[in-house]
Amino acid sequence: MTATLERPATGAPAARARTRAQRRAGHRVPRWLAIPAVVSLLITGLYPAAAGLALALTDSSLARPLRGFVGFDNFVAAAESVAFGGSLVRSALFAVFATALAVVAGTAGALALQARGGRFGLLGAVLLLPMVTPPVSVGVAWKLLLAPVGGGLTGLWDALGVSGFNPLGSGVGAFATLVVTHAWQWAPLVLLLVYAALLGVPAELWEAAALDGAGWWRTLRSVVAPVVAPTVLAAAVLQLVIAFKVFDLVAVVTAGGPGVSTIVASFEVFRTAFRGSFEVGTAAAETIVLGLLVGVVLGAAGLVTRHTRGDA
Amino acid sequence: MPSPVLSRRLLLRSALGAGAVVGLGPLLAACGDGGSTTALPAGETADLTGATIRAMVNQPHVLAFTELLAPAFEREFGGRLETTAVPYDQLTSQQILDVQGGAGQFDVFDYFYFGLGALVDAGALVDLTDQLAAVDTSDFLRSVYDAYTLLDGRRYGVPFDGDVHVLYYNREVFETYGLEPPRTWDEYDAAARTITERSGGSVYGAVVEGQQVPMILGCSFINRLAGYGGSLLGPDGAPALTSDAAHAALQHLVDVAPYALPTPLQIGFDQANSAFLSGQAAMLDTWTDLGLKAQDPASSQIVDKWGVVPLPVGGSNTEHRTALNAGFGLGVSTAAADPAQAAAFVLWATDRTRNLLLASTAGAGIDPARRSTLESPEYAAATAPATEVIRQALTGSPLVWPKDTDAPRLLQDLVDQLALAISGAQTPQQSLANAQASWERALT
Repeated sequence: MTATLERPATGAPAARARTRAQRRAGHRVPRWLAIPAVVSLLITGLYPAAAGLALALTDSSLARPLRGFVGFDNFVAAAESVAFGGSLVRSALFAVFATALAVVAGTAGALALQARGGRFGLLGAVLLLPMVTPPVSVGVAWKLLLAPVGGGLTGLWDALGVSGFNPLGSGVGAFATLVVTHAWQWAPLVLLLVYAALLGVPAELWEAAALDGAGWWRTLRSVVAPVVAPTVLAAAVLQLVIAFKVFDLVAVVTAGGPGVSTIVASFEVFRTAFRGSFEVGTAAAETIVLGLLVGVVLGAAGLVTRHTRGDA
Repeated sequence: MPSPVLSRRLLLRSALGAGAVVGLGPLLAACGDGGSTTALPAGETADLTGATIRAMVNQPHVLAFTELLAPAFEREFGGRLETTAVPYDQLTSQQILDVQGGAGQFDVFDYFYFGLGALVDAGALVDLTDQLAAVDTSDFLRSVYDAYTLLDGRRYGVPFDGDVHVLYYNREVFETYGLEPPRTWDEYDAAARTITERSGGSVYGAVVEGQQVPMILGCSFINRLAGYGGSLLGPDGAPALTSDAAHAALQHLVDVAPYALPTPLQIGFDQANSAFLSGQAAMLDTWTDLGLKAQDPASSQIVDKWGVVPLPVGGSNTEHRTALNAGFGLGVSTAAADPAQAAAFVLWATDRTRNLLLASTAGAGIDPARRSTLESPEYAAATAPATEVIRQALTGSPLVWPKDTDAPRLLQDLVDQLALAISGAQTPQQSLANAQASWERALT
């Protein structure tokens, strides 16, 4: 069967103009319909941004905001503070390490589930539990498990011959513990996304690869990876965002310590504004700097994603 | 032909206008009445019959309000006391936000005295000077009355919880290892080391509370600072954080860490009390109400097995001296529904009967703020054998923390630097020099 495409006659400007006008009239959406969206953007986007900028450029405490214009003094104060500079580095490291760990663990879990065959099932649901548990509860649970005296893992350390092992007792150990705990909580999200992507690999491809004698690694590289790579990258970007936002876990498990070794930028903003100093102006300046850092990292991640998708 | 709907230009203008209004909103609001204080005139104490009082309180005080004050308030006045507990490290900020944010959900604040300047600067507390001038306040302990309530010649509250530290020790553990309770910080070190090493880790010689907030690590440092004869500020009001006493105090915190309950920088109020009351740790410098808990079989495994001594001394100092560590007043929020009624409640909740009741009840978290409580047989019976040590501490001349507007920030700066030294990230000398520089910038 052949379909016939009717075109308007060429060389008839009046008819063409009429058609365009009719099309425009037919597709026209009154602009006032955009008002709810614009108002919503003003409230949720412009207001916080304007208020944040105003606080960052003024002498503002929790008690007395917007006392007077101080230029970039708050940014200088943030740079001179004990913890903020290091907290930016720690936030970036935390985001990169936690994302890498969560993506690797989540992807491996998804492949294992897929190889097991059958449905997502009870096992899959159980694996998702950490993700749906509030971060505060996760933090409390791990803090109790890792408590150096009477902690839930004390017996395990004794059995392993490392009695008194206290991962939260040193800066590096506490930071690594937070990274692992965060990855443990969020790897299931990657697992879920990648597992869904794996379901999109056509069965014929699996069969063809098997018939061609492709091994596990070759199948993974040549059949699975091209299909799931965009999803893995999207999950990684999502993980980066989640990891940069980490706060609850730090507040509950280490409160930034020992010393300043686990103070990430979000926790430092909280400390500056609400814990002790009440320097809301400096906290706003710190928030802006953190926002820029997150923008740069996510921009770079976006470029990598686009590049990879182009290749794919 | 003009569009029958909004033009793009009009829409953009409207958006910019609205953006300018919402952006300038806080600015205009701030220019209005931010930070102003109100004073309650002298007059008859308001009638509390049938009153409803909403109080924001320090979390460790929640039992005092819900289990003791609320029932008594209902019995006496048919009134209702609604209590909201806030963690101690967020108390001052939440009180400021309640007033500054416009929520105004509370009539009475249970406030930290070292946050007094910040609260007054925020206009969060009612000036009670004239009200209190007509009230007999002679029973309040001199050591806490001005410290907790007076700022720039005006009075903003009434003492509620007279907090000082003393040193508790596990008598049974000390007897097991043939030790005497320490009089000096050196003796404290030696005892901690002996117990931790000889017990094989089953009991730690000491608990050092090092959680990185002024109320915890600040107390641990200031206890030692006072013991070594130092102070936070010199007689001229200049910071004195690089004194020999300050160095000795911080060095002591660093040196005792290996023999203390792991890990000092993670140990807060609750963990420290639990470790001591369960017999896992043998010494703890903390608030005086711990004795009540130690004698309560429901919360203690060391009933009749503990003792208490004044905080040790060190260096060339031979006089025991404690510090007003934390300490609370009750004040009236400027957002109170009825400030006169809230003030009447504050006076009722801090009177002789209430102070004795709260200070003598285990778990209330309240220490004496009145002489009559310290001298009462009921209190002595409840707190024995700590009573005499507590009396000495509260009737002496304890070290007072700064309480001006910048005090919360300065104290946080100090504990940040202390934590860096204890964690080994920098030397005690460097930490104290940094803290001194920060304080000098703010105070001079």
